[in-house]
Amino acid sequence: MTRFLFVVPPLVGHTNPLLGVAAELARDGHRVAWAGYGDLIRRLAGEETETYETAMPDAGLRRPPKLIGPAAFRFLWEDFFAPLAGLMAPGVDAAIRAYEPDVVVADQHAVAGALVAERHGIPYVTSVTTSAELTDPLSSMPKVDAWLKGIFAGLREEFGDPARDDDPRFSPHGIIAFTGRALLGDGPLPWDGVRLVGPTIDRRPSPCDFPYDELDPGRRKVLVTLGTANAEAGERFLGEAVAALESMRESVQGIVVDPGGVLGAPGQPGRPGPAGGADTGERSALDGQLDRAARESGLLVRDYVPQLELLAHLDAVVCHGGHNTVCESLWHGVPLVLAPIRDDQPIVSGQVVEAGAGVRVRFNRVDAERLATAVRTVLDPAGGHRAAAEEIGRSLREAGGARAAAEELGRIAARQADYQAAG
Amino acid sequence: MTTDATGVAAAQPQVRADAGAVLADIAGMLRELLEEYGLDEAEIGRETTFHDDLELESIDLVSLSGSLRERYGDRVNFAEFVADLELDEIIALTVGQLVDFVVESLRSTEAG
Repeated sequence: MTRFLFVVPPLVGHTNPLLGVAAELARDGHRVAWAGYGDLIRRLAGEETETYETAMPDAGLRRPPKLIGPAAFRFLWEDFFAPLAGLMAPGVDAAIRAYEPDVVVADQHAVAGALVAERHGIPYVTSVTTSAELTDPLSSMPKVDAWLKGIFAGLREEFGDPARDDDPRFSPHGIIAFTGRALLGDGPLPWDGVRLVGPTIDRRPSPCDFPYDELDPGRRKVLVTLGTANAEAGERFLGEAVAALESMRESVQGIVVDPGGVLGAPGQPGRPGPAGGADTGERSALDGQLDRAARESGLLVRDYVPQLELLAHLDAVVCHGGHNTVCESLWHGVPLVLAPIRDDQPIVSGQVVEAGAGVRVRFNRVDAERLATAVRTVLDPAGGHRAAAEEIGRSLREAGGARAAAEELGRIAARQADYQAAG
Repeated sequence: MTTDATGVAAAQPQVRADAGAVLADIAGMLRELLEEYGLDEAEIGRETTFHDDLELESIDLVSLSGSLRERYGDRVNFAEFVADLELDEIIALTVGQLVDFVVESLRSTEAG
């Protein structure tokens, strides 16, 4: 029996891929505890989950929604991930002392997990939840790379092992990446020891009810979602998306996820999702046009949808290029229209386009007409997007998912135990 | 010469190492890059920033690098230009800075 400690940032997309891995490890007779934001972890992993609380940034710390590109990147590290590491480090340290894990599994962007583990001399494995970092995007910008390494060095002085200078985003003990070759291409990866397991698809039934009987079998179904972290930035885009879907209503039924309620309440209010979306009772006045559209065309606007279950019914997904949504869609063989906002999304979107499974539009500029054209393009079998998505889906399923991740962690733990036994 | 000389000339006007001509070249490349996304009417000048104004992403810069290579061949090394920039400089990068780099590169290779 190995004791694993999972260290995660307060981000749904970084936590979700590890849920299935924790379940598989438990099935193998191992023990898993989590360190991070307890409420979020328990909501996703179950109330009975063993959690160690770490300090978290104030809810007031929000990235300006308009911040994109390299400015968003600077903010992400300077104002979010680095302070987050400082906040989490004491809690991770306390968790390690109390729980005495054999192996720490640290999310790539919860740097405290890697650094505190190395100070304790405990092997840590990196959990990578995006394909973007594996392309080493800073390799062409040595001064930016040096800047980031400087941030790591500062954090290391505080709570890591200052004698080391390797990159805490890529553990020397092992790296589990929830992505696949279909996105990364065939080139060599910039780090050794990366095990690509594909996405972990969690088959638990969702607690959310969805009006499946309102789906029209005679039309193609297109989902529009901007993921769990972009509600504020999405108002204009979602408005254009609704107009695009309405223009195709003869052949397309749209389903739009609107967790922030930015479109105004549709005829059938959805339920607050696990992302803690807006309270439907406090929504602004009915938008008459949207309400009428929803009645006439069957457009479904929901706070939250059970995305994994819904994907089996879908013909295309319009999204922000978040790695989880992209992988889940491709897993189901569903082609994509990608409107990346920032962070890893442009890189992930580029990988999907390169693989032939989607087309990219510009988040802040695309209008309804161009968006409709993009949707028609991926729905048209002649474009080959569906076929490419199905091919990628096959390769992602073959990558092994949570089961493969758990087996790899078991191997790494056994190897580390051997090293320690050998002295 | 057996190729259609007029066609070639129209597609590839002569490279000139002055700031005005290079600005026109680069603005054309950027318009082409952005056109398919709906920014056909963009005003592009020396002060235009790549990120705040044009909202280019890193993958767009890769495309731009390809366009520069097509136009100027080995005389302009865009990778070298980017490699020399600090993060703050990348954030604030303007079209004019790239124009100046290209002009300088063209002049320094003119003799050869």
